[in-house]
Amino acid sequence: MTLAPQRRTGSDAGPSGTEDPTVLSPGTASRRAGPGAQPWVMGTAVAVAVAGAALGFNGVLRGWAWYSPVFTTVLAVAFSMATLRSLRARTWFVAAGGLAALILVLTFTFFRQHSIAGFIPSAQTMDYLGRFLRRAGETVLAESTPVAPNAGIVMLICAVLGLLVILVDALAFPLALPATSGLGILAILVVPAMVKPQSVGVLGFLGAAVGYLLILGCSHWFTPDARTGADTARDPGQIRRGAVTAGMALTLTLLLQPIIPGFDQGTFPQGSRLNPFGSATGLNPMISLGSSLRSPSGEGRITFATNAPTTPYLRSVTVDNFDGDTWAPDDRESTRQLGTGRVDSGLESAATELRVITAVNTGQFTSPYLPAPYAPESVSGLTGRWSWDPATLSIKGVDTNSRDQQYVVTSVSPQLTAGVLAEASQPAGGIPELFLRQPSNVPEIVRTTADTVTAGAATPYARAMAIQTYLRSLQFTYSLQSPVQGGYDGNGLSVLADFLTQKSGYCIHFASAMAVMARLEGIPSRIAVGYAPGRSTGASVSVAGQGPLPEYEVDSRDAHAWPELFFQGIGWVPFEPTPSRGVVPAYATAAATPSGASTNERNDALTPGDRSTPAPVPTLAPVPLPAAGARTPADAHPAQALYGLGAVLLLALLAASPRLARSGVRRRRLTTAARGRSGAPAGTAVPAWAELRDLATDYGMAPGASETPRHFSERLRASAALGQPGGAETPGQRAAAALTEDFERERYGRPAGAAGPADAAASAGNAGPAGAAGAAGAAGAAGAAARIALVQAALRANAKLLVRLRADWLPPSVLSGWRRALPLPRRVLSRTAESTRRGIAGSWGKIRNTVRRVRRG
Amino acid sequence: MDYHRTSLDDALPEGRSFPGRPAVDADAVDAAPAGHRSSPQVPAAMDAGDFHSASTRILAAINTVIDGKAEAAKLALTVLLAQGHLLLEDVPGVGKTLLAKTLARSIDCSVSRIQFTPDLLPSDVTGVSIYNQATRSFEFRHGAVFANIVIGDEINRASAKTQSALLECMEEHQVTVDGTSYRLDEPFMVVATQNPIEMEGTYPLPEAQRDRFMARISMGYPDRESEMEMLETHQASSPLARVTAVVTAAEVAAMIATVQQVYVSRPIKEYTVALGRATRESGLLRLGASPRSMLQLLRAAKATAALDGRDFVLPDDIISVAEAVLAHRIILDRKAASTGETPQSVIRAIIGKIPVTPEVTAAATGTGRPGRNKASAMAAAPPPQQPNPR
Repeated sequence: MTLAPQRRTGSDAGPSGTEDPTVLSPGTASRRAGPGAQPWVMGTAVAVAVAGAALGFNGVLRGWAWYSPVFTTVLAVAFSMATLRSLRARTWFVAAGGLAALILVLTFTFFRQHSIAGFIPSAQTMDYLGRFLRRAGETVLAESTPVAPNAGIVMLICAVLGLLVILVDALAFPLALPATSGLGILAILVVPAMVKPQSVGVLGFLGAAVGYLLILGCSHWFTPDARTGADTARDPGQIRRGAVTAGMALTLTLLLQPIIPGFDQGTFPQGSRLNPFGSATGLNPMISLGSSLRSPSGEGRITFATNAPTTPYLRSVTVDNFDGDTWAPDDRESTRQLGTGRVDSGLESAATELRVITAVNTGQFTSPYLPAPYAPESVSGLTGRWSWDPATLSIKGVDTNSRDQQYVVTSVSPQLTAGVLAEASQPAGGIPELFLRQPSNVPEIVRTTADTVTAGAATPYARAMAIQTYLRSLQFTYSLQSPVQGGYDGNGLSVLADFLTQKSGYCIHFASAMAVMARLEGIPSRIAVGYAPGRSTGASVSVAGQGPLPEYEVDSRDAHAWPELFFQGIGWVPFEPTPSRGVVPAYATAAATPSGASTNERNDALTPGDRSTPAPVPTLAPVPLPAAGARTPADAHPAQALYGLGAVLLLALLAASPRLARSGVRRRRLTTAARGRSGAPAGTAVPAWAELRDLATDYGMAPGASETPRHFSERLRASAALGQPGGAETPGQRAAAALTEDFERERYGRPAGAAGPADAAASAGNAGPAGAAGAAGAAGAAGAAARIALVQAALRANAKLLVRLRADWLPPSVLSGWRRALPLPRRVLSRTAESTRRGIAGSWGKIRNTVRRVRRG
Repeated sequence: MDYHRTSLDDALPEGRSFPGRPAVDADAVDAAPAGHRSSPQVPAAMDAGDFHSASTRILAAINTVIDGKAEAAKLALTVLLAQGHLLLEDVPGVGKTLLAKTLARSIDCSVSRIQFTPDLLPSDVTGVSIYNQATRSFEFRHGAVFANIVIGDEINRASAKTQSALLECMEEHQVTVDGTSYRLDEPFMVVATQNPIEMEGTYPLPEAQRDRFMARISMGYPDRESEMEMLETHQASSPLARVTAVVTAAEVAAMIATVQQVYVSRPIKEYTVALGRATRESGLLRLGASPRSMLQLLRAAKATAALDGRDFVLPDDIISVAEAVLAHRIILDRKAASTGETPQSVIRAIIGKIPVTPEVTAAATGTGRPGRNKASAMAAAPPPQQPNPR
């Protein structure tokens, strides 16, 4: 009996209360007041977001010349839409206007000569459009990043970005889903993230983030979320909550990233982080080698001047652990020694040594490892702290990298001849065991090839030469593309097996093949990564005490890998198994091969099947998997196959999961009902009823929240969903009626055994018209599953094909549940954030009070 | 009336209904025998078959007199069985009094009719103690309210004082005169009629008094066929004359007992509470439904369930009586009234928003979130803010 004046006091009821509620429909309200600055601000936000995200394309396209047409297009589309919107055009008209503006501006920019009046597309324009698209396609297929910004690819990017402006605008504005508009922006970022080795880059990331936040902020400012109730955008609490949520999200991202496997190595196809700041190039030189080599324009140019008689290889790092899926340099931080004044491997060489001075300028080349000719004795002129590994003599920055370093390396290289090497017949000793360790899981083809090739070679040198000769033979071709096409771009033992089968690859494949095969034959080996001798620049540099020295340059296209083999008494000796690359050392030319005889005949015998014992023994049952590829299932790495299998299973599971979830729910409910039949009668009809509701929902007859079971059941039976209404009662209708009756009795009826003494007689008599309550209830439970099946059959029989398919594969009852669960993480997060904030505020208040008390007292 | 009865012995009066003054027409339609109202013992419940046949007989009897008003007849019977009081409100001449009379006459019990006028006194309703010269003592002359069914015709014509005299009887089922309380007979039901459009000389029932009535029924005009039928059959004689009692008062008492034993499950109570709270929280109402009205709603629902042949209440029962039970107790907000809302429409809207099976609903449709729906009628949530263009 209390009046409730508090209902009418809320601050937000005030303004609407003064107006007649009938005039308050949104359309009329906005029409009366006019859209104001909103379209312009939102248009700017969308333009900033898209144009900002497009900054990430730098590096996909070379230079910045492409950006001005992109920027013009984005601005033109965004502002033409804003203009239309400020003129209160209809939603679809705004989108159409944006599209028209896009077409006009594209025509004006790219087809001015081939259009009517410079901006109206004509038949000729279409002709040129086809040509542009073809060129763009060729660029995408043939070239590798960064590509030259030719008109085709720039036009394509402009067109796509223009469309994305329309999409983002539509999401953020008329559809009022500003948060979802991030998808459009993400679509832009995905391209550089996938293509560029250094990921999106800080510019693209910042641009996209700023634009996205602008979109969110503006849309919240102009149309405050009704869900947050009294909190408007002007409420500082909103900003604080937002900041807390953002901070938690950021922390979570940073914490989760290193934990999730597969995100810490490799470029995108193998999984890489979406690193906004770009990765230091060459952190794992093994990985970026292929993409460096494929780069049409050299990046990371290094110049060096040397007094060596032949241009030296510049070596950055070595790889010596051949286990695992992906090989990476082992830094051995514990044994590294600081300071590069004196670098010594501690190995004595029997050969005469040649001292070489090399002055290196690394320019923009950024790597933790320092390129230097082998074997460095001292390095001077470096800035920052550097350390070196006694085992490999690789020099690595402690707190710095190779960018902008000018330094002079004194290196010692042994003067080797074939004769000296041939004499080194003792097995290797005195070096760390790790260079000798045979990798586990060596594919059979590698082992058999090594054995076949080196058969008959007596000394280690002879065996090494046999391997090199085999790899340099005409059977092998140098190709940067075929490993990519064949799916074995990269490194690792499984890649090696593919390479030996395909007999085509580039330096990393040749070098690792030789290194692994050498180890299998007992020769210590490692893979050196660095630069092949580059080109002379024609200039000369004067180095202190040396006079002018000829200058050479290398860049990413000269990136190279080669094997180094250890010979007792001589030390580490580089070989060059890669055809058409680098310089084969004099000691390693094929003519000097002591084993003499051509290995060709034996090589022929290498083809699998010619041998009496089947060479390629599949380590895993050949499962036809897309991931493993149909090409060489025999040699597919087991882990890879497992991943593929997992991926396929996951996909299938995902596709079927609404269906699985639905049938799981149904089974659980019906077993509950069935169990109830034998045991306690309670709780049998309720799950069956829930199932009936969901069934009806799936077939488009969703019960209303405020609909009573009886009403819903009547509506269901009166509809055509269970059979023609008005005719004789179908089994489905009868089953639905029975299910309803059971549910009502169980849910609302007197619980069994709870009848008081006063009404025992009454309820006994009452069972008449109510249909023998107890007996019918038990029977109903017995038949719940059967009845559900009847109803389902009736629904199926009377539904259209599309409805049936939807009910089977995307049942609305399941999907709506999922939809509702979507905001759950956000709710949990905000609740956590709120309690954290409160906790912090509380403890801060306590601290402040304590401080005050201490100060006062 | 200045005398006080000291004895409480005759709190259960033995006498017949008070003959009354001219205004108080002790309409002895069927002068009830004194015998059956002597014992207030708890009557035994009926079995469902008897219940069904008795209720069918009553409804059939009413329907022979009033054409096309089966709904109103059933609601009237529902109120009787739920031990409530009925307020019939409609324009003159649609059969309010006829319905009341027919209901009364179809039951073999005492009936009195009070025609309310501005000069009616409270003692005319309740009774008065007068001095008996012969016995030299005061004796209580029963008022018109001492009957099983009291028809209060045009109740809003009486003064507030007289109206409130009836109130105590309705609520307490007893009459207190000169400090002595007299119990009224069971079943006891007041069927009041009132005329909404007649403004002159009327004293509209205050909220507190309206709350005493379990249900208010608007008769409404009959449809075309019913009106034709009425003209055909009712020309010659009043059909009321042909109505004879089809059940005894004892049977009615047993039926009432049966209704009382109808089972109300916890979900139903929760639903009722939710309904009541929603009326109190609705932005369209100045006054929501009282807790007493919730109790009456439940009782009416129990009677409905029993009439439907069930021994437990369904949400449908609550919904079917909610409008009749609640509409006259709630008061519309001025704004809502100006937009053409009626109490009935608001109640319908509120019913349309309360989840019937919240736990099932929450797992199935997700429409249970309040405040996110189009707040068409029930502005429980603050109105969504309009975009603020600047």
